[in-house]
Amino acid sequence: MIIENTKLAFKAMAGSKLRTLLSLLGIVIGVAAVVAILTLGQSITTNISDSISSSGPDLITFKPYTDSEFSNIFTEQYADTLKDLDDNIETVMAVNDTSGTTVRFGQEDYSAHIYGVPSSYYANLDMEMESGEFFSITDSVTNAQTIVLGYDVADDLFPTGDAVGKKVMVYRGTSGKPYTVVGVLEEKDAIFSLSFDYGVFIPFSTYNARFNKSDTVNSYIIKVNDENVTLDVSDNLEDYYDDLLGEDYFRIMSPTTMAEMASSVTSTLSSFLAAVAAISLLVGGIGIMNIMLVSVSERTKEIGIRKALGAAPAIIRGQFICESLVITLIGGVIGVILGLSVSYFASVQMGTTFVMSWLSVIVSMGFSMVIGLFFGWYPALKASQLDPIEALNYE
Amino acid sequence: MKTIIKVDHASRFYTVGDITVKALNDVSLEIKEGEFTSIMGPSGSGKSTMMNLIGCLDSPSDGNIYIDGQSTFNMDETELADLRNKKVGFIFQQFNLLSKLSALENVTTPLLYSGIKKKKREEMAIAALQKVGLGDRMYHRPNEMSGGQKQRVAVARAIVTNPSIILADEPTGALDSKTGKQIMDLFWGLHNEGRTIIFVTHDKALGEQCLRQVHIKDGKMVEEGVTHDN
Repeated sequence: MIIENTKLAFKAMAGSKLRTLLSLLGIVIGVAAVVAILTLGQSITTNISDSISSSGPDLITFKPYTDSEFSNIFTEQYADTLKDLDDNIETVMAVNDTSGTTVRFGQEDYSAHIYGVPSSYYANLDMEMESGEFFSITDSVTNAQTIVLGYDVADDLFPTGDAVGKKVMVYRGTSGKPYTVVGVLEEKDAIFSLSFDYGVFIPFSTYNARFNKSDTVNSYIIKVNDENVTLDVSDNLEDYYDDLLGEDYFRIMSPTTMAEMASSVTSTLSSFLAAVAAISLLVGGIGIMNIMLVSVSERTKEIGIRKALGAAPAIIRGQFICESLVITLIGGVIGVILGLSVSYFASVQMGTTFVMSWLSVIVSMGFSMVIGLFFGWYPALKASQLDPIEALNYE
Repeated sequence: MKTIIKVDHASRFYTVGDITVKALNDVSLEIKEGEFTSIMGPSGSGKSTMMNLIGCLDSPSDGNIYIDGQSTFNMDETELADLRNKKVGFIFQQFNLLSKLSALENVTTPLLYSGIKKKKREEMAIAALQKVGLGDRMYHRPNEMSGGQKQRVAVARAIVTNPSIILADEPTGALDSKTGKQIMDLFWGLHNEGRTIIFVTHDKALGEQCLRQVHIKDGKMVEEGVTHDN
């Protein structure tokens, strides 16, 4: 009976092509929108997570705020205290930074983010050099005026790429001091973590002597011994400093926690957008119901004939529900193909990796079938309840 | 001989607003197996109501109707549909074929509702179409056929389930006299096979050709006549 009903559904659809096409369109657009949004959301989430966790899945940044009553304990030496807080902490680096520092070479100015970091920073953060080297431990100890430039800084000040060995002026207010460029970092994309491309790096001691009046430290970069414990360690630190400082007086960030946050934001957003798209699917369903009601009324005579030949109400109902299901199923398949194509091309355009979301395909197909069933039910019921005599005499 | 149809004090009332119309009023009738009966009467006499009741398209407001010994009283839509499918073969004045289906598909339709398998359905339908002389028109659609051919398809569809009753409502009404006669000959052939045929018509001359005539007027049975088989 299902095969016969499906054949009949195709015959009925072929009988009114334009009408079927238009009602199909509602479902196609709805399904395509849901699939595209969910797939694109999934792709973006995956890409963000990958990108964040590739930029140091074993790192945690701890930033005490300077208005805390304890702010004066956060010195370079505090790094050792911090290291002892958790066995999984491998090393802790004190880092100071300021934004908007002018770096000048010749007539060119660059407003860079300046970091005072230990020489071990380079190795611990898996940085790569484009040219030259990172400053040495000797530079750190001797307060040397050496500087490493981020890719974009070097590209801007030294378009010809011969930065190493040159002297740049680094300004604090209006007074500038010369720093020797010892290295240039490789270009590195970072979405949520800090991008080194726009920063310049000088030895921590040099930074403190010049830019910092006190011994306080802006932030500590904590490296754990296993990336799988990053979340645990950052939770433990969070608890510890909650008690010590109060939750408003510090911030703990890690690529892993940021990746989680980013995923949850994108997935919430894409779920919300998918829900909006699902409304269009609902509207498509109303279109199906409309077309099915027209179909029932046009085919009253046929229904009467079938009833006279012995079709029970359930059979008539089945025939019309099958027809509405066939329409939504076809619409669903076309919609899935369209939605995946759209998200594929959008991924390519945005330069992100396309990630197939089977869940979205199953959910949207299932949803469109439910819509077919739901909106096909009433017209089918109406057809099955027609009086056979009246239906037979219908002209 | 076995009683195929027993109409037992059957009435059918319709209520329109405050007025009750008695379309059929306390009619009793018995039709035996193999009889060729006409139900005659002018339009509005109640003969269509009678046909609808015998054809299980409707159930009586009062009294009862037995088809092949089965009471139709209190039957629901599904039970009536099943009875129509198994016991009644309809032939209508306007053929009432399904326009999008071929002759063969039209004839297989009642078998589909009987739950018969596809292969068997087609075998039975082909046999029925060959019987009415349409073995070469099986894949034609109704709009590719003449009136006479369409009515033959309808006859094939009516007999394919081997029903107890063949119920024909003005089957020659839409045909020219020559084609009409051919269809009548087909009915006589079915009668000779022992089938029970009920022929509903307002055409006196046509009705009187049948072996038994039932006249209905104003919802009542007024007269019965018998023409002897020759």
